Amino acid sequence: MEFDFLRRFRRFFRRRYWDEERKRELEAYLEIETDENLARSMSPEEARFAATRKLGNTTRIREEIYNMNSLGWLESLWQDLRYGLRVLARSPGFTVVAVLTLALGIGANTAIFSMINSVLLRPLAYREAQQLYLVREIVPELSQTYPTLPANLPNFRVWQSECHSFDEVAIVGGSAMTLTGYGEAEEISGGMASSNLFHLLGVVPELGRTFLPEEDTPGKDHVIMLTDAFWRDRFRGDPGIVGRTVAFNGTPFQVVGVLPASFRFPRGAQFGGLGGGLPSGAQYFKPLGLDPKQFSPLGEFDFAAIARLRPGTSAGQALAELDVIQARIAKEANQGVGLRAVIIPLEGAVVGTARRGLLLLLVGVGAVLLIICTNLANLLLARLPARAREAGIRTALGASCGRLVRQLLTESALLASLGGILGVGLAHFGLQWLVAAAPADLPRLDEVHLDGRVLAFAALTSLITGIVFGALPAWRISRADPQQTLKAGAVTITEDRSARRLRESLIGFEVGVGTLLLIVAGLLTTSMVRLLGVDKGFSAEHVLAVDVSLPPWSYTKLAQKEEFYENVLERVRVLPGVKAAGWISRLPLQGQEKVDGINLPGQSVPGLQVPVANYRYVSPGYFQAMGIRLIQGRLLEAKDRDLDVALVSESVAKKMWPGENPLGKQFRPGDDERSRVRVVGVVADVRMVALEEPPFMMVYLPVGSPRPWSGSYSSLVVRAAVAPETLGPTVRGAIRSVDSGVPIRHQRTMADIVSDSVAVRRFQMGLASLFAVFALLLAALGIYGVVAYSVARRRQELGLRMALGARASDLRNLVLRQGLSPVVAGWAAGVLAALAAGRLMRGLLFGVTADDPLTFAAVTLVVLATAALACYLPASRATRVDPMVALRYE
Amino acid sequence: MPKKGSPPLEGELLQGTLDLLILQTLVLGPAHGHTIAYAIEHRSEEVLQVEHGSLYPALHRLEDRGWISSSWGTSENNRRARYYQLTPTGRKQLAQQTSRWEELVRAIDRVLRPAEE
Repeated sequence: MEFDFLRRFRRFFRRRYWDEERKRELEAYLEIETDENLARSMSPEEARFAATRKLGNTTRIREEIYNMNSLGWLESLWQDLRYGLRVLARSPGFTVVAVLTLALGIGANTAIFSMINSVLLRPLAYREAQQLYLVREIVPELSQTYPTLPANLPNFRVWQSECHSFDEVAIVGGSAMTLTGYGEAEEISGGMASSNLFHLLGVVPELGRTFLPEEDTPGKDHVIMLTDAFWRDRFRGDPGIVGRTVAFNGTPFQVVGVLPASFRFPRGAQFGGLGGGLPSGAQYFKPLGLDPKQFSPLGEFDFAAIARLRPGTSAGQALAELDVIQARIAKEANQGVGLRAVIIPLEGAVVGTARRGLLLLLVGVGAVLLIICTNLANLLLARLPARAREAGIRTALGASCGRLVRQLLTESALLASLGGILGVGLAHFGLQWLVAAAPADLPRLDEVHLDGRVLAFAALTSLITGIVFGALPAWRISRADPQQTLKAGAVTITEDRSARRLRESLIGFEVGVGTLLLIVAGLLTTSMVRLLGVDKGFSAEHVLAVDVSLPPWSYTKLAQKEEFYENVLERVRVLPGVKAAGWISRLPLQGQEKVDGINLPGQSVPGLQVPVANYRYVSPGYFQAMGIRLIQGRLLEAKDRDLDVALVSESVAKKMWPGENPLGKQFRPGDDERSRVRVVGVVADVRMVALEEPPFMMVYLPVGSPRPWSGSYSSLVVRAAVAPETLGPTVRGAIRSVDSGVPIRHQRTMADIVSDSVAVRRFQMGLASLFAVFALLLAALGIYGVVAYSVARRRQELGLRMALGARASDLRNLVLRQGLSPVVAGWAAGVLAALAAGRLMRGLLFGVTADDPLTFAAVTLVVLATAALACYLPASRATRVDPMVALRYE
Repeated sequence: MPKKGSPPLEGELLQGTLDLLILQTLVLGPAHGHTIAYAIEHRSEEVLQVEHGSLYPALHRLEDRGWISSSWGTSENNRRARYYQLTPTGRKQLAQQTSRWEELVRAIDRVLRPAEE
């Protein structure tokens, strides 16, 4: 009511002027009063003196007016800041250590948060992305092998016309086509989508248009949309591209549009695996061009179905409606199996397992920051006795307790802000490293950057950090009795028991958090070791894999393709350094493909209840090259061409012919009534999808088998006597010498494939270990600091003990015992916390339980040994105290 | 803080009363600090002693609120002095504050002497 803020602000900036004015005014008063006193016949000195006495303390008056003109908080903040800077500058060692550790802590938190910001908080940049759901199908009879399945085409068409809970439904599948006429022939991967996909996502093309509904029908589907990156790379960003014709697979496609640069689309794996693959970075989209009538309602679950929920409809309602439709489809199909559906929020599906891992990292990096705070609080507490004297003087001079607390908090906030600014710089560089090290599986990883939200996070973290580590010392100093601190003098402020206990509990806390982090990192590491040690079924060392795709226009007949494969093999086998070589239609760890039933003759099991296996076409030499063990019978040989023979994996033998000799047994692959294949050998099970996943049943058919096979894609597997990557050029040369028009899609070692398949885990484990080691070192530093400080303080006492006959080992043990007791308490708390938190870790572990005794024992050893070392150094210094010096010290 | 040794009533001057007294003094015309203090002391027959430690801050406050304005002038005996005068807002405030003061005095009076009625 009194002062309106603006006026006050104006006054604030004119306060010096007003001070001058009032000073002059007060002088004028003095002169007038002196005149009057002179008139009362006082002597000049007397007159002046009386006037001055009457006016009182002019400085005080001016000060009061000056304060009226000032913005109290702003001014005292400025004072505190300047004073704080001076205090920090006076102890540069402490300041540098504090700012650097804070910068590391805040920087690491900022970097991890910016990953979370991009990956978890805004995974999909589509219109109202929270309304988007992924629809997957469930065949209860298959749920043992496939809990859920992608969508299939005919069912999608039914949903599209009948499910009213959805505004719109679209489907996407993988696609790969060979581009010619623009440089070397190259296979390009992209997606095939129902024409409404981009409308559903709310994506507007940068150039041209999206697809028209009629372009979904076969024959009218020779139109294509390019992604921005593909358009720029391959077509040099040609603005006149729309309307032009480009040859894919030897067929002309008309470019109808270019997608915006910001457009991103999830990979097939993020949709839970699709028929056509759909790798990351799809470069084009084409319409479906498929006839639903050619698909069965209970097969070819190859597509990701994305639905936009009608506003006001709940996911539960949509699912209920969908399940009614599904039940009807299953009934009409009359195959003796049921059909249900499940809808999953698209964002959740895309982020998938990355969520838990990233949140774990955030907790880990937050714990490191907490330890940093604890260390700094401890350091500040140790400096407190010196500050207490200063605080005592200030209190005696009239500083309020609030003002003292504010001063200390300003200092710690200043430290934290400096650390924060430096930390954001570190985060900027750390982030580049993180993104490079992170597995490509993380969605939207390429978009991770420091934005406003991240900077706000960094600022907030710095502020909170400053308050957290400054609060405890501030609280202590506010309770200090000024009389006591002043009376005690500078040297012998004995540390009271409560201060020591406070510092010890901080140490306990640090050790506890460090132990917890180490256990988490230890469990992740053990998981990783177990995972890499798992029996993959093949041996990855010394193996090179080269993927090719045969251009469909020059390889129209299967016989041509088989001839190509045979010719390449002949040339590769004789290359120097090659021990064995063979082809396979899809490599291990690359996911499922060509899943079909194993029908035993004479048994009639309803369609979908037939056991299913992954079928692969292999050439002679594959098993030798991949190092897959033969268990029974023989491997495939050149003479098996055109014969209906097969190898099966061990799990097939056990499942189909338990207790019998599988050799010579016959079965029908899939629905084909005519052909039968005969088992000639049994090979070891192989991890097909991921190291974590148990092996799937496998059937291997010979290349050239009469079974239908497109044969367009294959991988050449070469076992080398030398480092496998050195064979790359000669193997590629051999392929080119057979046909230079065949594009080579990938070339990598099997070791790389294995390593890529555990990339997410390695990333999590690596960062968790980094944080844990960092935490341990910080805790050790904290322990060292506290013990060293207490030894320095107790020199006199230790000297006295020595003078009274204590041996060096007695003193050392005394210091060790006192230093280690909070460590042991903290370790115990950390172990208990790890046991309690074990449940949260379950999904991240492999082959190890969350209470693995070995890991716990190892962590215990590491923690106690590190702590003992941190105590031992100052403890041994205690034994070197010269009693005479120590006693004279006072 | 009140200065020790002042006349007894000084410390008990009600908050805001000094403002009222200053405004009232200025009704008679512009005056400088010294005159204002003198006038208050004189007219209260020396009962109210004006503490200079509060006079000048009070003048500053009133001016800041816009109830009085000031300018440099020359005093009776040729000294430079800062003269204060009432602004129209100040005049209105004075009327309001005076009636509130009188109300207050009557109320206290009623409380102190209930038996006589």
